Amino acid sequence: MANYEEAPLSSRPKTLDPNEYFNVTKETRRVEAEKAALRASLKRQYLQQLNNPHRKELIEDPALTRWVHARASIYPYFRPSYKTSILGLMFGVVPLFALYALFKTDRDRKEEKIKNGTLDRKFSISS
Amino acid sequence: MLKILIPTLMLTPTIWFSPLRQAWSATMTYGLLLATMSLLWLKHSSETTWTHMNSYMAVDYISGPLLVLTCWLLPLMILASRGHMSLEPAERQRMFLLLLTTLQALLILAFSATELMMFYLMFEATLIPTLAMITRWGNQAERLNAGTYFLFYTLAGSLPLLVSLMVLQNSTGTLSLLTLSFNHFNLDSTYSNKALWVGCLVALLVKMPLYGVHLWLPKAHVEAPVAGSMILAAVLLKLGGYGMMRITMLLTPLTKDLSYPFIILALWGLIMTASICLRQTDLKSLIAYSSVAHMGLVIAGILTQTTWGYLGALTLMVAHGLTSSALFCLANTNYERTHSRTIILIRGAQLILPLMGTWWLIASLANLALPPLPNLVGELLLIVTLFKWSTWSIILTGAATLITAAYSLYMFLLTQRGPTPPHILALEPTYTREHLLLALHLLPLLLLTLKPELIWN
Repeated sequence: MANYEEAPLSSRPKTLDPNEYFNVTKETRRVEAEKAALRASLKRQYLQQLNNPHRKELIEDPALTRWVHARASIYPYFRPSYKTSILGLMFGVVPLFALYALFKTDRDRKEEKIKNGTLDRKFSISS
Repeated sequence: MLKILIPTLMLTPTIWFSPLRQAWSATMTYGLLLATMSLLWLKHSSETTWTHMNSYMAVDYISGPLLVLTCWLLPLMILASRGHMSLEPAERQRMFLLLLTTLQALLILAFSATELMMFYLMFEATLIPTLAMITRWGNQAERLNAGTYFLFYTLAGSLPLLVSLMVLQNSTGTLSLLTLSFNHFNLDSTYSNKALWVGCLVALLVKMPLYGVHLWLPKAHVEAPVAGSMILAAVLLKLGGYGMMRITMLLTPLTKDLSYPFIILALWGLIMTASICLRQTDLKSLIAYSSVAHMGLVIAGILTQTTWGYLGALTLMVAHGLTSSALFCLANTNYERTHSRTIILIRGAQLILPLMGTWWLIASLANLALPPLPNLVGELLLIVTLFKWSTWSIILTGAATLITAAYSLYMFLLTQRGPTPPHILALEPTYTREHLLLALHLLPLLLLTLKPELIWN
C-alpha cells in the first residue's frame, strides 16, 4: 500500500489507516469474525421473514418490544439514588409544602381583611 | 326510573338466549332505546330537585347528566367491542356482553341511589365487572398487575369509607340523601372528626384519581380492552366526583381547613401529569394521564365548595367523559390495525385514513378545551373558581392549560402528520362502525355546546 503523507490541516481518515490492515492482532480478528457471524445470522433471519411469500403480518422488531416494555415497567426497576432522591424532593415534596404555605398565607390574609371589613372588592357587581 | 333499570336487567336473558349475531345487534339497539328514554331524566319538574322517585332511587340535578352519560355509553361500548370480540367463541362473547350490561345496571343504581350506603355498595360492586374486563380481556401480560393495582387501590381507600358511613349512620340516624340536606352539620375540629373527613373522602379521591394515588389509572386504562377503557374513563372516574359532591355536604365546616392538601395535590398533579403526557410513547397511556389531569381540576373545584365549582366540575365531568371515551376509541382503531400502542408506529395517519383524521382533529381539539365546547366551559368555570379561592392558583391552572394544549396538539400531530411509516404493508380502511362510534361520541358534545342548560338547569 502506498504510504500517503497526511495533509497539514486534515487527519488521515480511518479507512486509510494502515494499522487497520496490517498489525491486526489475532484476538481482534477473532472478535470481529464473531461479530460478523452474528450480524450475518440476524440479517439472514430478517431477510427470510421479509421475503416469505406467505407472510401477511408485520415483522416484529424485538428491540422495539423490549424498549416499549422498558418504558412501561418503571416501578420494578426503580433504584433510589442521589439523583432520583433530589428529583423526587424537588418535584414531588417541596412544591406541595411551598404551595401550602403560599395558599394558606394568602387566604388567611384575605380572611383577616374580611373579618376586619377592609377587603377591597374591586370587581364587585352588586354594590 | 324502573322503566330504564328493569329493561337493562332484562338485557341479560336477551344476551344469553338470542342467537349470537342478534345478541350483539339487539343489545345495542335496546341500549340506544334506553339511552333515548334516559334523556327524560334531564327534565326537572320538582322544586325539591329530586325527580323520578322510587323508594330507593331518585334523580336530581347532579345525578341526571351522569346517568344519561352512563346510559349513552352502553351502546357505544358494544359498538366498539365488536371488532376484537368477533374472534372469540360464542360463550365468551355473551359473557363479555353480560359484563357490560351488569356494569351498566350497577352504575345506574349507584348514580340514582338516595341512600349513601346503597351508593357505597354499588360503588364497590362496579369494581368486579371492571376487574373481570381488565384481567380477562386485556391484551398484554401486564393486565394482571393492572387489575391488582386497580382493585387494591380502590378497596384500600373504601374500607375507611365504610367505617365512616357507619359512624354517620349511628350519629345522625339516617344516611338518606333526601333528609341529610336538612340536617345542619357543624362538625367540631377534633381529631376524630378530621379522621372521619379523611375516611369519607379517601375512597373517592383514589377513584377520581387524585395525583398522589393515581398509579392504578394508567395501568388499568392501558391494559383494559376498549370497552373497559371507555367505561373507566367516562363513567367510573365520575363516580368518585359524584360521591364527593354528595358526601362533602355532610362534612361542612371541616372542609375549609382540611381541603388544602388535597387541592394542592390536585393542582400540582394537574401540571405534573400534563407534563408526563408530553413524554409518553404509548398512546393509551397518554390519554390516561390526560384523564388524571382533567380530573385533578375537577377535584380542586369540588373541594372549594362553591356553586361555580360544582357547575364547572359537573360540566367538565360530562364533557371529559365523552372526549376521553372518543380518544380511547380512536386509539383502539390504531391498535386494531397495528396491534401496537406505540405512537410512532402509525404516524402520518391523515394521509392513509383521512376521514379518521377528521375525528382525531375534533377529539384532540375537544381535549384541549377549544371554545365553545363544554370542555372549555367546565375548565373556565373551574379556573375562575380557583382564582376566587386564591389568586395565586392562576399560575398553576394557566400553566396547566398551556401544557394541556401542548400535549393534545402533540398527540394529534404525532399520529396524523409526519412521514408515513415505511414498514406497514396494508391497513384496513375505516369501517362504518368506527365512524358511527365516533360520531355518536362527538355529536352529544356538539349538541351540549348549543344547549348546556341540559346539564345545568
